[in-house]
Amino acid sequence: MGRDKSARQSLGSLHMRIKQARRAPIHEARVLMVGAGGIGCELLKNLVLTGFGEIHIVDLDTIDLSNLNRQFLFRNEHIKKSKALVAKESAGKFNPNVKIEAYHDNIKDPQFNVAWFATFGIVFNALDNLDARRHVNKMCLAANVPLVESGTTGFNGQVQVIRKTQGKTECYDCVTKDPPKSFPVCTIRSTPSQPIHCIVWGKSYLFAEIFGTSEDDAPELNHNEDSENAQEIEKLHQESQALKRIRDSMGSKDFPRLVFNKVFKEDIERLRSMEDMWKTRRPPQALDFEQLSKEALGVADTIAQKDQNVWTAAENFAVFVDSLRRLSNRMEETRANVDTGNAPAILTFDKDDADTLDFVAASANLRSHIFGIETRSKFDIKQMAGNIIPAIATTNAMTASLCVLQAFKVMREEFDKAKMVFLTRSTERVISSEPLRVPNPTCPVCSVTQSTLLVDTSRATLKDLVDDLLRLQLGYGDEFSINSETGILFDPEEDQNLDKTFNELGLKADSFITIIDDADEDTKVNVVFSIAEKTLDKDTRPIHLPGKLKIGTKPKASAPEVNGNGNEHNHPVTNGVTNGKRKRGAEDNLEDDLVKKRGKVAAAPAVADDIILVDDATDGAIVIDDD
Amino acid sequence: MADLPPPVQGPTAKEKKYDRQLRLWGATGQMALEDSHMLLINSGPGVVGIETLKNLVLPGMGNFTIQDSAIVSEADLGVNFFLEEEYIGGFRAEHTCNLLKELNPDVQGNFITEPIDSWLTQPDSLKPFTLILAIAPIRPELLARLSAHANATLIPLFYVHCVGFYSHFSVHLPSAYPIVDTHPDSETTADIRMLKPWPELLQFAKEKTSNMDTMEADDHGHIPYIAILLHHLEEWKKGHDGKVPQTYQEKTEFKTTISKAARTNNPEGGEENYDEAVAAALKSLKEPEPSSSVKEIFKVPECVLVNKESPSFWVIAHAIGLFYTKYGVLPVPGAVPDMKARSADYIQLQNVYKSKARKDVMEVLESVRFLERTTGRETVIEEKDVEQFCKNAAHIKLVRGRPFHVVQAGETIKWGERAKSIAQNLTFPDTLIPLYIAFLAFDEFVATHDKDRLSGAPKMPGETRQETDTEKVTGIAFKITDDLIKEAGTFIEEPDYTAVKERIGEFVQELVRAGGAELHNIASLTGGIVSQEIIKAITEQYIPVDNTCLFDGVKSKTEVIRI
Ligand SMILES: [Zn+2]
Repeated sequence: MGRDKSARQSLGSLHMRIKQARRAPIHEARVLMVGAGGIGCELLKNLVLTGFGEIHIVDLDTIDLSNLNRQFLFRNEHIKKSKALVAKESAGKFNPNVKIEAYHDNIKDPQFNVAWFATFGIVFNALDNLDARRHVNKMCLAANVPLVESGTTGFNGQVQVIRKTQGKTECYDCVTKDPPKSFPVCTIRSTPSQPIHCIVWGKSYLFAEIFGTSEDDAPELNHNEDSENAQEIEKLHQESQALKRIRDSMGSKDFPRLVFNKVFKEDIERLRSMEDMWKTRRPPQALDFEQLSKEALGVADTIAQKDQNVWTAAENFAVFVDSLRRLSNRMEETRANVDTGNAPAILTFDKDDADTLDFVAASANLRSHIFGIETRSKFDIKQMAGNIIPAIATTNAMTASLCVLQAFKVMREEFDKAKMVFLTRSTERVISSEPLRVPNPTCPVCSVTQSTLLVDTSRATLKDLVDDLLRLQLGYGDEFSINSETGILFDPEEDQNLDKTFNELGLKADSFITIIDDADEDTKVNVVFSIAEKTLDKDTRPIHLPGKLKIGTKPKASAPEVNGNGNEHNHPVTNGVTNGKRKRGAEDNLEDDLVKKRGKVAAAPAVADDIILVDDATDGAIVIDDD
Repeated sequence: MADLPPPVQGPTAKEKKYDRQLRLWGATGQMALEDSHMLLINSGPGVVGIETLKNLVLPGMGNFTIQDSAIVSEADLGVNFFLEEEYIGGFRAEHTCNLLKELNPDVQGNFITEPIDSWLTQPDSLKPFTLILAIAPIRPELLARLSAHANATLIPLFYVHCVGFYSHFSVHLPSAYPIVDTHPDSETTADIRMLKPWPELLQFAKEKTSNMDTMEADDHGHIPYIAILLHHLEEWKKGHDGKVPQTYQEKTEFKTTISKAARTNNPEGGEENYDEAVAAALKSLKEPEPSSSVKEIFKVPECVLVNKESPSFWVIAHAIGLFYTKYGVLPVPGAVPDMKARSADYIQLQNVYKSKARKDVMEVLESVRFLERTTGRETVIEEKDVEQFCKNAAHIKLVRGRPFHVVQAGETIKWGERAKSIAQNLTFPDTLIPLYIAFLAFDEFVATHDKDRLSGAPKMPGETRQETDTEKVTGIAFKITDDLIKEAGTFIEEPDYTAVKERIGEFVQELVRAGGAELHNIASLTGGIVSQEIIKAITEQYIPVDNTCLFDGVKSKTEVIRI
């Protein structure tokens, strides 16, 4: 009776395959796991105890206290250390036979190129952000490696097998993902009506103007939209300028009063004076610094700790003044340290940074007072400002196990039995599944033809590519364009690059170029070439296509889509990012949903572990497993 | 301002650690978790029990105790993540307990290595625990003892099998297990009461729609859709003897009326607020009637006969029942859906709903106080509990917990009122009921087989002799099936009968082939499901699985049945 008894008895021949694969040169059980967070920890444990021989882990993230309620490979003493490295160390202890490689790196780094992806038998995505998910999806398609994609939100989880060849499936990008939400600048700056408007104001305007890069540089605010009134926009711009000037007095004793009077009094009075605006709205009421200072004298010094309570105006005032002072001090210190060079001293909002959160929560609530909007607890504001997704151990355990079960199907090449699996809160059917879908024929990622080009980059010119390879060998006509990751290299109107070499154009190993055919008839699907550098014999062509390339034609344009985004699949789980339908929260998070109506301030860019707020997504009833 | 005392920076490290889960079950749920003490009676390869515990230690369950007299063997290392080579020969309870404790310093862990037979017979051995998790195999007389204890003390008891690619769990909850905070799907929580408006709401609608024909385009496009709906309802009633649209045809007509009232002479060619009104029209014509399961709750004996000892749930439910009898509706929950509207109007509308909700809460509270006085209740029910109940009134749930089967050697299994429905479902091609029967047969085999006379450890089928055990267990499973069909007073025709037996035979064969062994991945998944249900039972939030769940790891498929 050895360690393997259980696995041998139940897995049967698959177990032998997993074991034998360890000895094969490029074996199918060499596993890549991208992400060592909630799902990653569980997945690593399951892979180790299922007998996989070699596991590579890539994660750029470091361990945070709020990870410890579920990421069981990490302890208090690991906080701030690399997730990938600690996971390797913790899991390796439990099975000395397994080989684990850890990389504390970004999966988008060039070292992780297509050739590297192709050395794995299977890839698991245990990620928390859209961008990295899309990248791995693309790489796996290019390398033709099966991908098991997964994600969780609260009690909901989802597992999806993505495979380019053999039982060709839908890829991660076949379904359009919702873009981040945003609000028009006027709603935020002049006419807020919901707590979220005030929170966005506190975070993206006030905090950014005082401590960060100015609003003008922030990607979240869209100034072009909904400009009811160009004059008003100009006024708002002047307000920002005035606030910037106040910023210069940071550190002075008077600073809190100056800021307060500017944003909670003068700006409000100016707004109020525009009587036209308040004919049908309740006019805002400015706050008084002196009066609130008096009221705040009775406020307990533990107030900022009471994050579940909804604070009074005086309590918000106390937290505002205090957090402003804490942040100013930090700013001063930062400035003192950045003594040389041009790097400006700035602070950035971080929901886990108590000083910044206190400031945004108190500012948002004071603004809500002014506009007669309901105020919120710091706890709620943290969720709304930080785009926090609830996460628990149980869901991760289930989701990771389901990933491994799907991986078994992949390894047995039973793609017809592989499923899209969902965890739901439904008590009728804890787990549901549906068959994998066929690819979306217009998917910008997987409907393309992918291939590698061997290029002698010092010698090959764009002309070689256009005339020799594309026109002569592959039969392109006159109407097509060539795009690199940075922009257009060639189209019928843009031909000045033709004599430049690949090197001169910055097209090095592992970069991608996309050929888009614009012919009216039998239009070719887009072709993505990944470039492999190779010194080719002087007498031969400097660009070489390894193997035959068959390029399909695009389907004829279909009837217009009903809902604009062509997303007919409504995936019930958000996969950690918004995807498909979003449901309205209960009363308490009316505005968590942000605004579907007119808005344009994007939610903050996805940060590790905490993406886009979705309240308890859904119980989505899904097609029952009819396997 | 310099003299203002600096606020201490919160939240605490603990709140930070649990932040992501507090957003699901809140501070009250977390408190319940921290006050709990779970007993794990571990057995067999013992992986599923430990994986379940892992998911409870991480979120901060207050206390756990592992009872397990097994010794760590080499085979344990291949499947149990919480054991290491150096522990071979030591007590499994001790080492798994220690490694689990490392996961979370806030959690107290204990272990008991005394054999279950003698430990369980000690008086009060089960007293400290607020929840019990028993892992198969376990002797039937011991499981029966746990079941009796759960019945007497109203603590939840979970029973889990995890064998090869398959698993099962059943939960025995108290016979009256009510839940206020069911966390309903947010789409079902909007209740705007278009058919039961109150004066302030009507007044609001009137204000917002007066001279709507002459309004500026921008104003017209910002009338809240609730006001639009109410306005058209009032108009409709004028032409229909004061009645709202009744038939489907009338309702459709009503909807068309609204959609025609939208202005289209603007660049958008329509109005978003009118689109919202049209979308909500049909739904808003449904009487705000509570679901039958909620109405049922008002009629059960616990609700009708409130006494001084009644749990607060029943006192509040009784008071809300009175409210419902009086008004024909539940208290207004108070939430307003998002809509196209001017900020000020929207805030005003929110206040109209909030004040009404508040008023309803006060009326229910008054009844609660009256009941407290008349029954001589000693503890006062908190106002916030009444408020919370009123907000969730349409979504409260009563689960009638019941014991699961304890298979005794030689005794026929009783299915009672469930016999008919289960026998019927047995023939469905995809059902996992045959797997449940296979697990029952597995238990009967365990009941009659010992590993060795001395320790009395039960033996699982397939541990030593595959073929004879398969035959034995198959025979038991077929008998259980026939007894079930007989008790149901029904008959399964051919070829269905043969098909059912074939499926049962296949599951039995798979279970015996595993020889009682666990696969880590299946144990981990099952541990995830079970721990989630344990969290529901402890926090008394969310709707629990009632009462049995089966998992087929070959097909990644679950089925929930009530037995
Ligand atoms: Zn695709």
